This record gives sequence, C-alpha cells and structure tokens, in this order.
Amino acid sequence: MPMNKSSIAAVAILALVVGFSLSWYLVHKQPVQLESGTWFGDKARPLPDFELIDQDGRKMTRENLRGKWSLMFFGFTHCPDVCPTTLQTLGQMMRRIDDPDVAAAVQVIFVSVDPERDTPQILRDYVTYFDPGFIAATAPMEKLRQLTRPLGIAHEIRNRIGDSMEYDVDHSAAIVLVNPDAEFAGLFGAPQDAGAMARDMTRIVEHN
Amino acid sequence: MRFLALLLLLPSLARAGLIFDDAWIKNLPPSVPVRAGYLTVTNPDSQGVKIVAVRGEGFTRIEIHRSVMRDGEMHMDQLQELEIGAGQSLRFEPGGLHLMMYPAKPTRPGESYRISIELGDGSIRTIEMTVKK
Repeated sequence: MPMNKSSIAAVAILALVVGFSLSWYLVHKQPVQLESGTWFGDKARPLPDFELIDQDGRKMTRENLRGKWSLMFFGFTHCPDVCPTTLQTLGQMMRRIDDPDVAAAVQVIFVSVDPERDTPQILRDYVTYFDPGFIAATAPMEKLRQLTRPLGIAHEIRNRIGDSMEYDVDHSAAIVLVNPDAEFAGLFGAPQDAGAMARDMTRIVEHN
Repeated sequence: MRFLALLLLLPSLARAGLIFDDAWIKNLPPSVPVRAGYLTVTNPDSQGVKIVAVRGEGFTRIEIHRSVMRDGEMHMDQLQELEIGAGQSLRFEPGGLHLMMYPAKPTRPGESYRISIELGDGSIRTIEMTVKK
C-alpha cells in the first residue's frame, strides 16, 4: 500500500521521538559510575520527615532540601580529627568543581549529632570556617534520630560521667547524598577524596 | 683524654633518641575547645621507646588518641602510652593517630607552642608545634 505524505511525516516524527527518547534514556538513565561513592539510581528513596534547626536558628525540613544536591555529613564540633578533616575535604571539593553551574547545584550540610554542646551559633562559626557557603543544623536527640535512623547513620555518646560536658561522640563517617527531590540518592564512604568527589558530583549533576 | 671523651660520648651515640618531624596543630574556630596535633616520630635506635605523657604550655591537657573505624563508625580511642619500636617511624595524621589537645585559650594560625614529650625512662623531649589553618 503506497503511503501518503502525511503518513510518511508521521513515521518520521515517530522515529525522531523514539530516537530522542532513546538517547535521553541512554544519557540520563544509565547508572552513574562513581569513583568514590555509591549511587542508588532507581533505588533512591524519599528522606523521612524531619525537623532540624539551622545555623541561623531557622527550621530545616525535607522541603528545604528540594532543588539542590545536598551532601550531608554527621559529626560534632568537639571532634578534633575526623570532622575537621572531612569538612576540609568537602571545602576543597567545592573549590575543585570547575563548572560554576555544577557548584551552584551542590550544597554541604553539617548535621551535629551533639545538640547539647553545638548551639546554632557555634555551628555557624564552625562550618563557615571551612567554607562560607556551608550549612549546619542540629536538633534535640529524639528529633535527630528521626532523620539519622532511617538513613542508617549511627551516633552515640560515649564516656560521659553524669552530666559532664566532656564526652566523646561516635558517629558514622559516611556522607549522605540527597537529590533535588529530597531523596536519599547515594553515599560517600570514609575516607573521602576531594578530587574524586568533585568529579563524581560533576558527573551526577550533569547526568540528571 | 680523647679516649675518655669518646667513652663519654658512646652512650649518646648508641641512643640517638627519637626524631620528631612535621609537628603541627590544626587550627579551629575559637568556639571549639579542642585541637588535633600531628607529627612524625622516628626511633632510629635498636631499642623500643615509649611515649608516656605529653604536656604543653598553653594546653590544659594533651592526650594521645587514635581515630578508628569500626563497622563504618568513627571512634576515638585514647592510648595511655605509645610504643615506637626499634627503627620504626610512626605518623600522626588526619583520620588516625593524633594528639587531642585542650588549649587554655583559642589558638591562631602561625603561633608556635613548646610541647614536652615524656618518655618511658622519665626523660623529656621538647618539640615545637606550629598552628596551621
């Protein structure tokens, strides 16, 4: 049966649509290969409901994480070794992201798991020391656990005698990746490397 | 006379003592009351040496700590003493062995502190540690 002009056009349009969809699929839905982390791909899951207080005393909920890629690190300011090292690495990572559009799409959030000692003001002094754009937040312990438990982030106060303000806090050293839909989308295990994370975040942002 | 001098020198030749390198303190904002100190200790001698205490002017307390990862979680273990084996070199570095230091007042980058390291035989070695950002 001879095809008329309109059916040829329809087939051509269909072919174009299929072609574009396929190439979009190939570019965007292939698993992202990360150098230094784990990408959950389709298995990303919504963050639980939570409510923290940020470094300026404002409420921070899941809704505040929409629109950007967030890297969440859980620690405490009285931690002299691992936490400053990780925050310094994250600061270097931000400076190593070459594309300003990618850098603008990424934010770092330090979540203190030591709410008794880490007030918003202390947290502000602390994170901005590493990078002026860093965000910090915390919450009373029960509220904190509503966020950390579903993420598999463990933290525990140790070696505390009575109400003494001197104690250790054990904590997971992994960095949680949250996508712009406020979903738990990946993990960067310790120890982190600034260059590898900068390249990984560039891949992630450009891919999506 | 020369022989006598040599004889007196011998013990110190046999025990050259620990060598300390790259000693520095990581600065943190004034609101944070702790600092981490890092250095490399080398023991060129044929006998092990123990560090039993660390003290320093400007610090109310200095402890030897090790950050250890267990089941994906960071812990800080305090060490009561630290043995540096014969011919061994130990590196205090971020994410591992470090001095946990409690400054009497906030530190500033560029400052230097004299830190005394007490060894197992009761002798004390003094090193200089510089604060870096």
